[in-house]
Formats: sequence, C-alpha cells, structure tokens
Amino acid sequence: MANINWRTINIDALDPDSPANFDLSSLTPAVEPISTADVQNTSQQIRQLLRGGDNEGALQGALESAPYGADDKGKSVFKEIYLAIVLEVLQSIRQAEIAQLLSRIYSAPGGTEALDVLMKYIYKGMAQAAPASSARNITPQATGFSQVHSRGGGEGGGQAMSVLLSWHEKLVEVAGPGSIVRVMTDRRTV
Amino acid sequence: MAAPEVHHLFHHPIADHSFSADRQTLAVARDNAVDLYARSGSGFKLHDELTGHDKTVTGVDIAPNSGKIVTCSQDRNAYVWEPSAQGWKPTLVLLRINRAATCVRWAPSETKFAVGSGARLIPVCYFEEEDNWWVSKHIKKPIRSTVTAVAWHPNSVLLAAGSTDGHARVLSSFVKGVDARPEPSPWGERLPFNTVCGEFLNNTAGWVHSVAFSPSGNALAFASHDSTLTVVYPSAPEQPPSAVISISTQVLPFMSLVWSSEDEIIAAGYNCEAYRLQGSDQGWALAGSLETKGRPGLAEAREESAFNMFRQMDLKGKSSADDTKLKTVHQNTISTIRTYQEAGGRVSKISSSGVDGRVVIWDV
Repeated sequence: MANINWRTINIDALDPDSPANFDLSSLTPAVEPISTADVQNTSQQIRQLLRGGDNEGALQGALESAPYGADDKGKSVFKEIYLAIVLEVLQSIRQAEIAQLLSRIYSAPGGTEALDVLMKYIYKGMAQAAPASSARNITPQATGFSQVHSRGGGEGGGQAMSVLLSWHEKLVEVAGPGSIVRVMTDRRTV
Repeated sequence: MAAPEVHHLFHHPIADHSFSADRQTLAVARDNAVDLYARSGSGFKLHDELTGHDKTVTGVDIAPNSGKIVTCSQDRNAYVWEPSAQGWKPTLVLLRINRAATCVRWAPSETKFAVGSGARLIPVCYFEEEDNWWVSKHIKKPIRSTVTAVAWHPNSVLLAAGSTDGHARVLSSFVKGVDARPEPSPWGERLPFNTVCGEFLNNTAGWVHSVAFSPSGNALAFASHDSTLTVVYPSAPEQPPSAVISISTQVLPFMSLVWSSEDEIIAAGYNCEAYRLQGSDQGWALAGSLETKGRPGLAEAREESAFNMFRQMDLKGKSSADDTKLKTVHQNTISTIRTYQEAGGRVSKISSSGVDGRVVIWDV
C-alpha cells in the first residue's frame, strides 16, 4: 500500500461521467475524410490555374478545398503540400490587386468562409516562416560572423513574412477581426 | 431616436443585471454581492446590498411578478431572496453541484429557475412546499462541458442551454406537479424531464456565450465565440430543423443577445456596442449598430480647438485630452443585454451592462 502514490492516480479515468471518457469527436463538426487522389487532383488543378495566369481562380480553388480531413496519421503531409501551394499563390498575386480580389471573394456566396480559410493559411504560413529563419540563426558559426548569415536567412523568411503581413492587413480590412476570432476558435485546422 | 440613458454605477465589472418589473429597482452583480439600486430622478441610487455569497456572483434575476430575486455564484450556491419586514431574506437552494454556477434565469411561470454550471449539468430548481425548500433536479445527459447560458421558452418547460462544448441545446425541464402539460410545439410533443429536443452546432463550433428563444418560442438563436450568430428554425418533433442560419460577422464575438421581435435580434459583446440583426428563416444579416452617430458626448470629443490640441501636446506630449476613450457608450465589453420595455410583442427598449460598470438603456 505504501508505494502507491494516490496523487498520481488519474481519477478522471475512473469516473464514468468525466470528460476524459467521452468521444471528443462529438464536440466538433464532422469533416470529410480526404484521399490521396483528391489532394493530388486539386493541387494539380491549382498549379495549372496558376501557370495559366489565373491567380484568382487558383486562390479560390485552393480555399474551397481546404484539406480539413487530413488530420489522421500519415495524412498531415497533405496539409503541408496544400500550405505550400497556397503560399505560392499568395506570393504570385501583386500587392495592388489584393484588396480588390478580397472584396470580390467576400461578396461571392460562401465568401466569409473562404476568407476564414485564407486567414488560417496566413497564420499557418507565419508560424512556419518564423521557426525556419530562427533555425538558421542558431547554426553555429565559429568565426563569430554569424550575424551576416543569419541576416541573409532572416531576409528570405522576411520577404515571405512581408507578403503574408500585407495579405493579413488587407484581409482584416475586408473580413474584420471576426475572421481572426474564428480562426482561433475553429477546430478544423488547415 | 433618443440618446441612450447611461448610468455609470461604479468602476467595476457587472457580471449580470436585472430590473424589477416596474423598472424602479436595478440589481447588479458586483464582486461577491448584489447591489440593489433604486431609481431616484433620472439616476439610480444604491439602496441595499445582498450579501451572502463568498465568491463572485455570476448571475442575478428578478422575477417580474413575485419580485423574488435569485442569485448564483462561483461559490456553487444559489439563493432566493424574498422581501420581508427585516429586509431581504435569503433561502439557500440545494444545487448539488461541485463546480461554479455560471448563470441563472427564472422561468416565465416563476415557479422554477435554471442554473448553468461548470459541473456539466443544469440544476432546475423548484420550491418544495413540504420541506419549505428550493430543491433541484439535474439535467445531465448530453452536456459535455460548462453551461454558459440558459434561456427559457415561453411555455416554461423547454430550456435552451449554451455550453463551452460548442453546442446549443433545447432540453425539457418538465417537473411533475409544478408544470402543466405543455402544448405540443415544433420542438417536441411529449416532453418528460431531460428530453433532448435539439442539439445544434455551427461549422466553427465556438463555445456558446448566449442563447435565446424568439418571442414565440419557435426559433432559437445562439451567439458563440467564433463571432457568429446562429438561428435555428425547428420543423417538427424529432425532425432535422427546417433552417439553420449562421451569420459570420466581421466584428468581435457577441456575449449576449435578445430578440426584439420575431425578425430582429439585438446582440452585443466584445465590440462594446450593440448591433441589430434582421432576417427570417430565409436568411439573416447584420443591419447595423445601435450607437447613434452624433451623440452629444461624441461631438464634444471631436470638436477640439487647435489651441487646445497644441496645449495638450505641450503639456502631456499627446494631441488629444483622452485618446483612451472608446467612441462607444460602453467603454468595455458588454456582458449582458436584457429587455427593458416591451409592448405588443415588440421590444422598444433594452438595457445593457458591461465590464465598465455602466448600465445603459437603449431605444431599439
């Protein structure tokens, strides 16, 4: 008896009414599972549109088919692929066109939903850009001239970040802070 | 539209407020006590204090006909306060919960009230004559998380509950011997206690801040932390609803909502101002703010002489006297809005209270 530490017993597991014992999937809206073929198809289509110069179509296509269902193991790579494509699309659109394009998407049916997805990608892109550049910063430099290198790396990430920031600014003008709150609340991640 | 009537009571958050039926008494939850204000002239004066809770009071509701006040608190207790010769007399309610109580509302019949709690259940409380005590029955079943809001259907049997699990639910709180058998409605025909008449979730599944039935009881609206407001129109018992309309707004989330008529909702929250939403089962849209432009206080703030501006810059290093002031009447989040005046099924005035310690009465 003496060697049982009562404080470490997970009492939630023993209580049938405890929140640890119910299916958490009931708390979230159902998302459609996604197959490899789907992802390949849509990403190819988006790339094609992008190559054809139809940036707006590419963006809309990408936002309509966010891979929410790719949460299972082994499928999270789809999300990475998607993110890369969306970021590519965002970078290919000229600064001056952003505002008009966003208001066109907003006024289309299902527009707020699409812009929420875009906001998710912008935040995800920012989250991804930051650690990549900091990883470069900490590469050991015996010479002590590491600053030169880290600045170079920082600028590469900085450019992607500045694109995302300008998108973010324009997007908040159109969709408002409500969109940011929705991204923070939503359990369906991109 | 007349300017809103602003009462700045104190510099402290107001968790909940409630007016008596004659609108002469105002109860506000402040810290561990409930302050009772009495109308005197154009303002409100502190009149009495209900002390008894030993943690933050989270809900207060005055029954319009009987005048009884029910309060609930994070100390897991609820009291029913009745006026007597020696002042307000509290009666403890046996809630039997092991987490904080979050909100409380009288049923329209005033024979029952419902308390939301962090214990993932809703005590429905009624008075037991034999024991001279308020006892509770627990609605437990599908609730997966803290109940943040409760609202009554006009028939006093159906109860709407919003929860942090993102669901708004319609449940039956039928208590034998207290309630008359309710008329069948689109929500359900036979309604024994704890019948789940509907469970609703929107796409973003944000936690629910506020729920409310429409005046007829035939529609349900809920506002959640994803800045959306969802309106549900039921079709028939045990059938999927005929319409679920979710409006994603551009503004910050709504904390509270009231139906001003069958086709209009007033909602307010983190944006510190109240918004009007209009629609029907065909669709809803944000129609604008209740704040009127060119309100007296606002014009004053704008009209500033150049001399004043430069003097302020010289004295304080900033251009305007108070640039910390919001342009809205409320200076912080609005936490509760309630009906203040109603005529013929249409609400003409609402009252709002918020974190800034103000209670404001608005023309709708």
